[in-house]
Amino acid sequence: MLQGALAGLAAGGLYAVLAVCLTLMSRLVRVVNFSQAATGMFGGFVAVWLVAHAGLPIWAGSLIGVLLAGVLSGAIGWIAATWLAEADTTTRSAMTVGPLLLLISLSFILFGNKPQPFATIISGPAFEAGGVVVSQVAVVMIVLAIVVAVAVHLVLTRTRIGTKLRALSERPTTAELLGIRSKPLSIGVWVVTGLISGLAIIIVAPSQSNDATSLAMLIVPATAAALLGGFKRLDLAVVGGLVLGMLSGLVAQIDEVALVRNFLPFLFIVVLLLWTQRKEVWDAAR
Amino acid sequence: MRSRLIGVAAVAAASALVLAGCAGGQGGADSPIVVGSVNTISGAATFPEASEAAAAVFDAFNDAGGLDGRKIDYRAEDDKGDPATASAAARQLVGSDEAVAMVGSASLIECEINQKYYEQEGILSLPGIGVDTGCFNSPNIAPANVGPFNDLTLTLQYGSEVLGIDRICVLLEIAGSTRPTYQAAIDRWSETTGKELFYLDDTVPYGASDYTPYIVKAKQAGCEAISGNPVEPDAIGWIKAANAQGWDDVTYLLLTSAYSENFASSVSEAGAGIYVPAEFYPYTAPSDINEDWQTLMEANDIPLTAFSQGGYLAATFFIEVLEGIDGDVTRESVAEALQAMDPIETPMLGTPYVFGTAETHDQLTAGWPIVLKSGTNTWENAADDWLHILD
Repeated sequence: MLQGALAGLAAGGLYAVLAVCLTLMSRLVRVVNFSQAATGMFGGFVAVWLVAHAGLPIWAGSLIGVLLAGVLSGAIGWIAATWLAEADTTTRSAMTVGPLLLLISLSFILFGNKPQPFATIISGPAFEAGGVVVSQVAVVMIVLAIVVAVAVHLVLTRTRIGTKLRALSERPTTAELLGIRSKPLSIGVWVVTGLISGLAIIIVAPSQSNDATSLAMLIVPATAAALLGGFKRLDLAVVGGLVLGMLSGLVAQIDEVALVRNFLPFLFIVVLLLWTQRKEVWDAAR
Repeated sequence: MRSRLIGVAAVAAASALVLAGCAGGQGGADSPIVVGSVNTISGAATFPEASEAAAAVFDAFNDAGGLDGRKIDYRAEDDKGDPATASAAARQLVGSDEAVAMVGSASLIECEINQKYYEQEGILSLPGIGVDTGCFNSPNIAPANVGPFNDLTLTLQYGSEVLGIDRICVLLEIAGSTRPTYQAAIDRWSETTGKELFYLDDTVPYGASDYTPYIVKAKQAGCEAISGNPVEPDAIGWIKAANAQGWDDVTYLLLTSAYSENFASSVSEAGAGIYVPAEFYPYTAPSDINEDWQTLMEANDIPLTAFSQGGYLAATFFIEVLEGIDGDVTRESVAEALQAMDPIETPMLGTPYVFGTAETHDQLTAGWPIVLKSGTNTWENAADDWLHILD
């Protein structure tokens, strides 16, 4: 049982990183960014192309890939900030489905639909626990998730820019009247989360199935993980990612329930929604 | 009143003539011969090369003058791995486009969905790559490839009889109703070799992002070799999960779906070796056997994979049969010619190809063992001859 749970740690770490990005976006720029993993995927594919075909060293290719993921995310953020500044969260979130599909299709056109030969940046086992090797990738992912969550928390609570961001997210009109420029700040948030997810995907992709669809659809478990913290709490997003990864590892170990594994993020979402809505009466919840 | 009646009659007659002209378009002496195929080109597991290769063969045939001046109009539809789309695509090609045969298809589900319809319409299909159970148990469908079921028997046989591995585990990704047929393939191996499977896990999903839990389970169980039917991206996922676990002494006994240059370049740590019975003559070692196919594929920018070999062969077999038809080329005459054809021997296949009148079509039973070793990033031939399933 423990072995199964540990086996899911690498996946859980990745979910956690993406969930932290999603939570950050939801809190600060009022959006559930469905293209979060897709921008990272596209940056990663470009990195692979640069290494394999343009002969760039791995570090340079990866760096450009991560930067591209940030730029792409920033571009989507620019659209949201320019044309959907006044729109509600639902509309802004729905808009991000467009880039998700566009990036998947574009990577099919540019790179084909086969998995890409990602060069490994980090690989190999880190340590053994309970007979299961915990890979370096898993350790790095978990550390990355925690570091990002803590750093974001510190930036938001301790710095001037953090105060501005919180002001913008909580009282946008008042903040703008006070002279805080919302557009550059919100695009900045998009760029930063794009960079983080690009980095996470480039690190993880060599150790898992890495065709465009698999990578872009990491958004589903990441969303489920972010839901544990209600898209508000960063610590719970990290916990949600790890729990979901370990649960899916655990489920795969037990033959009777292994088939449920594919639906686990959805079950997770349903259970969480039922739990958070448990005190609502039907009419009010509706 | 009378003149108006004549007018209406004239219009009606004219429309009837036009409509008759449309319907009769297929029968003309120089109208194109419509050939169809249903393929999974988009979706979770895709097989785009087979129909591309068949199209390249038909284009070359048309450029060389076609069948006494008649061209082949090849129409390949995408079923997106979706049953409803697969069914609609077949009805479009067979019903509206009046295809004379289906050639070079490669789909995850098409055979099973459409086999009854093909029987009902009296149309025969030569898939480039037969994937699902339906491709091998219908009188109307005879793929140009060995297929995953015989392929699994072959790879298990290679592992136990040639490599001498005792603890072989099978991990299966089940799509549709293929489970019993894979079991039959495993049973056939057990019956012919007297060996028992060490461990079977049939809950492995298609297209999962991380296969670590399944690999950990197999490693804990003490498997020496992992066999199974992953499509290319999933096979890479399996191997990467094993690498991350530091499991470097495991042997992989995979199917032709893993045999590609893309796969070889994606996998550098291959444990104790990845063995595959290539369903067609291996193209990674230089030889003249594949020369024609390779030239054609490279000219058309089609990836060199087993799938494109299958599509190429299906189209060449079809053309050979087509050229032997006396008289009009119709669905009936094509079916008759395919059922009466002599077996075609080609060095690209270990067993002769024949359509014939058999109730089922799993008569291709040979693969060429190849291996991918750690750090080489290239496939090498692991034998000098075809490996046949034992009797």
